Amino acid sequence: MTLAEPAALSVAASAPPRLHIARRFTARLKASLPAYLLLLPSLVFLALFTYGAMGRVLIDALYQRATPKAPLRFVGLDNIAAVLADSAFTGAVVNNLIYAVGTAIPSIGLALLFALALARTNAVTSALRAALFLPVLIPMVAASALFLFIFLPNVGLLDHYIGRLLPVLPNWLGDPDIALYAIMIITIWKNAGYYMLFFLAGLQAVPEDVMEAAHLDGAGPFMRLRYIILPELKPTFLFVIVIATLNAVTQVDHVFVLTQGGPSNATNLVLFYIYQQAVEHFDVGKASAATLLTLAALMGLTALSFRTMANREGGP
Amino acid sequence: MLFSRRLMLGLAMAGTLASALTFPALAGEGPTEIDLFFPVPVDGKLARDMGTLIKEFNDGHPDIKATAVYTGSYDDTLIKTRASIKAGKPPAAVIMSANFLLDMQIENELTNLDALIKADGTTKEQFLGQFFPALHGNAVINRSVYGVPFHNSTPLLYINADKAKEAGLDANKPPQTWAELTDWAKKLTKREGDKVTQWGIAIPCAYDYCGWMMETLTMSNGGRYYNEEFGGEVYYDTPSMLGALTWWNDLVSKHKVHPPGATPGPAVSTSFISGNAAMMMLSTGSLTYVRENAKFNYKVAFIPRNVRNAVPIGGASLIMPAGVEADKQKAAWTLIKWMTSPEKSAWWSRATGYFAPNMAAYKTPDMIDFLNKNPDAKTAVEQLDVAKPWFATYKTVPVRKNLEDEVMLVLNGKKQPKEALVAAQKAADETLKPYNAETSLKLP
Repeated sequence: MTLAEPAALSVAASAPPRLHIARRFTARLKASLPAYLLLLPSLVFLALFTYGAMGRVLIDALYQRATPKAPLRFVGLDNIAAVLADSAFTGAVVNNLIYAVGTAIPSIGLALLFALALARTNAVTSALRAALFLPVLIPMVAASALFLFIFLPNVGLLDHYIGRLLPVLPNWLGDPDIALYAIMIITIWKNAGYYMLFFLAGLQAVPEDVMEAAHLDGAGPFMRLRYIILPELKPTFLFVIVIATLNAVTQVDHVFVLTQGGPSNATNLVLFYIYQQAVEHFDVGKASAATLLTLAALMGLTALSFRTMANREGGP
Repeated sequence: MLFSRRLMLGLAMAGTLASALTFPALAGEGPTEIDLFFPVPVDGKLARDMGTLIKEFNDGHPDIKATAVYTGSYDDTLIKTRASIKAGKPPAAVIMSANFLLDMQIENELTNLDALIKADGTTKEQFLGQFFPALHGNAVINRSVYGVPFHNSTPLLYINADKAKEAGLDANKPPQTWAELTDWAKKLTKREGDKVTQWGIAIPCAYDYCGWMMETLTMSNGGRYYNEEFGGEVYYDTPSMLGALTWWNDLVSKHKVHPPGATPGPAVSTSFISGNAAMMMLSTGSLTYVRENAKFNYKVAFIPRNVRNAVPIGGASLIMPAGVEADKQKAAWTLIKWMTSPEKSAWWSRATGYFAPNMAAYKTPDMIDFLNKNPDAKTAVEQLDVAKPWFATYKTVPVRKNLEDEVMLVLNGKKQPKEALVAAQKAADETLKPYNAETSLKLP
């Protein structure tokens, strides 16, 4: 913002008289025509598959039918009100918040730890990096199918080992108190390696001379981490946090495979709620309204974080 | 990531569009191409068996080319069928969970099969007469035929006969009542201190299975799950269902002979196969899987009663979605009749463990032979005498989930049965409200 405002002011100050506006506009259009032409293919696909769909959601959210055979009628914001009043939706939002915080923080923490440990490149660290990155390569659906067997009550891999330690074996996916955490463990396992890549890249950008200077000044490893590495990694942190939050809202493959939102809605996340409304309840209006709410929240979040990022880069 | 996914989607869509545009022109004189959507709801290698079946059909019918499309669970198959009807490209035939037919008929998504039956020169009574009477309820709506029973099941009590013998019980005289079953389960549960090393009994509870098991227990307790004549009512908050849920909960929390929490069907069968659970209640559809994988002697028996012997049917019917073109309808009808004929019905039954809905299947020599070798396959058929239709309402799946979510809370010790059933009833009434507004509460 600090950068953008003065720029906007200077353009306004040097604006030509009104008469010239039309001519200037055509001239500009001519100049930028090739650019638009080059963008056209992507624009067509974006319009078809992204903006068109979003527009449709906006319209669908405003209509509802009173009884199964009644015609659709305009209901304004009633669908949004109905979604907000639905305890299943508020439950899904709470679950999603727990899920987002509970997956983002541990997976980012682990990622940073891995990156710091494996920052130097040699044969051993390369092998370890590959091993840690492996979960990223497995599709979420396949990973979930594997975990289905790991979490199998009484006879699964996890119970086979943990069973020796605990008196009563937990029903990992069948107990509403545990199921969400079981799902979170999969997400952390899957994403930590991915975020590690960003931190590894971020660590390359830490200036070597500053580190050396700190070393000469007698700063220990902790001091170097606290006062040099972490501040230098701030943009990476911001970026990874945004990605992690988006993932928490957009990845529900494991919920589909493992729990279908159950038991008793304990693992119902917002995206899965939308799916349920749309295809199980056949309620397009409510599904669209929930989608709009989610989109609004996500866009707000993204705008906020990118603004923070722009501030940092533009700052002193 | 995002970009490549979007690109792939775009390419896939473009590809489908292109093939959709060019194909009709190419098809012209060739065989009528039809799709058959099929789910795999139980354990076993059903997908491969379906491939074998359809290949045999295509070899015998050069003018038709049927393609079997695997569509996941019963619930997924409903969703995919609905999506394809909405997209204007419905498959010509679908193997649809028998209790979804009413909901689909209410939403105008089914083809009435009466005309096709009439065109064959048979009456509805003759046509339905081929199938076990217990199956008619889920195939006929408003006196019109909408589905042809393809593979059906009833819930069974599976008993690990070796473990029973160890505990001094005789699996040839299986428990007949809930009291006896509770007693058996207690004797079959093994503990080391607080830790259970072998469970007496396991009953599955995951979406879909849970509702079916609740109907099973409620019916054995003298109750009904829903109004068989009208799709706008369910009977969740009733003494018979309260008794059923309370007993199930007692097995978990009072007697501690049933694993706590909600356990999905495959986990229950794995548990039984591995010897971790000595008895289980499961669909007869899993019988072939158990037969091929159990390394011990097992027995199957009727579901024990508290008030009366009664079970719901399960399984699926062949249906034709609305909006299928006439030539494809004809081809699909040929396929449906072929698949439900005595020979094929019997073959599929042997391959899967479902019973064959076509009564004549049990008179084919192969089947008589098979039953002599595998008398356990007879139990499900014998139990048909006391079988009744599977619950089917307006919005069957959400109405069923209204109950299942509450049952899961009970099995996890989060709610008392009565409290849970009151909540389930309230939620289900709310889900059914729009339909009642259009039917039972629409007054002159």
